[in-house]
Amino acid sequence: MEDSVSNTVLVIAFSMLLAALVLAFARLLKGPSINDRIAAMDLIAAVVMGFVLVYSVMINKSIYFDIPVIISLISFIGTVAVSTYLKHRYG
Amino acid sequence: MLAGAFFILVAAIGIVRFKDLYSRLHASTKAPSFGIFLIVLGVSLFFNMPIVYLKGFFIIVFVYLTAPLAAHSIVKSFKDKEKGKSTFFRNNEKQK
Repeated sequence: MEDSVSNTVLVIAFSMLLAALVLAFARLLKGPSINDRIAAMDLIAAVVMGFVLVYSVMINKSIYFDIPVIISLISFIGTVAVSTYLKHRYG
Repeated sequence: MLAGAFFILVAAIGIVRFKDLYSRLHASTKAPSFGIFLIVLGVSLFFNMPIVYLKGFFIIVFVYLTAPLAAHSIVKSFKDKEKGKSTFFRNNEKQK
């Protein structure tokens, strides 16, 4: 019990992250403008980072800790690229 | 170790919480970075190794550096669209 996180906590965390992912995906589908969709994609990247971290706790391997570093960098690059493209398009 | 689990729980609550007031673009950026911060803190307390602490520090630094920049560029492109030289996407939105 002291060594591993209890199972109910993992289930609750997974279900909350899943609810967050569903809400963000709904915003991605019916965003009024493109900017809402970009923000929703950024948010989905954050939720996926949370998924990977909780999963690394569940299977008890710390090697999975590398993945969120890469996801954070790539999501930042993607967001800035798309919004810069939109800015040059309208400007 | 169990405190890390509770940190994860609090972080997931924080991520879920803000999503309903999503109509503002601003509010969508601060809450996930704080949630990611709490998740990373909990998981690195769970593993309790130096390399994991180092990677967690890197994750937190990257998230807190890049989230305001991303929000700034989103809002800036949105304001450029509001000025509206081109009307292509605006006509597209009216059709929906």
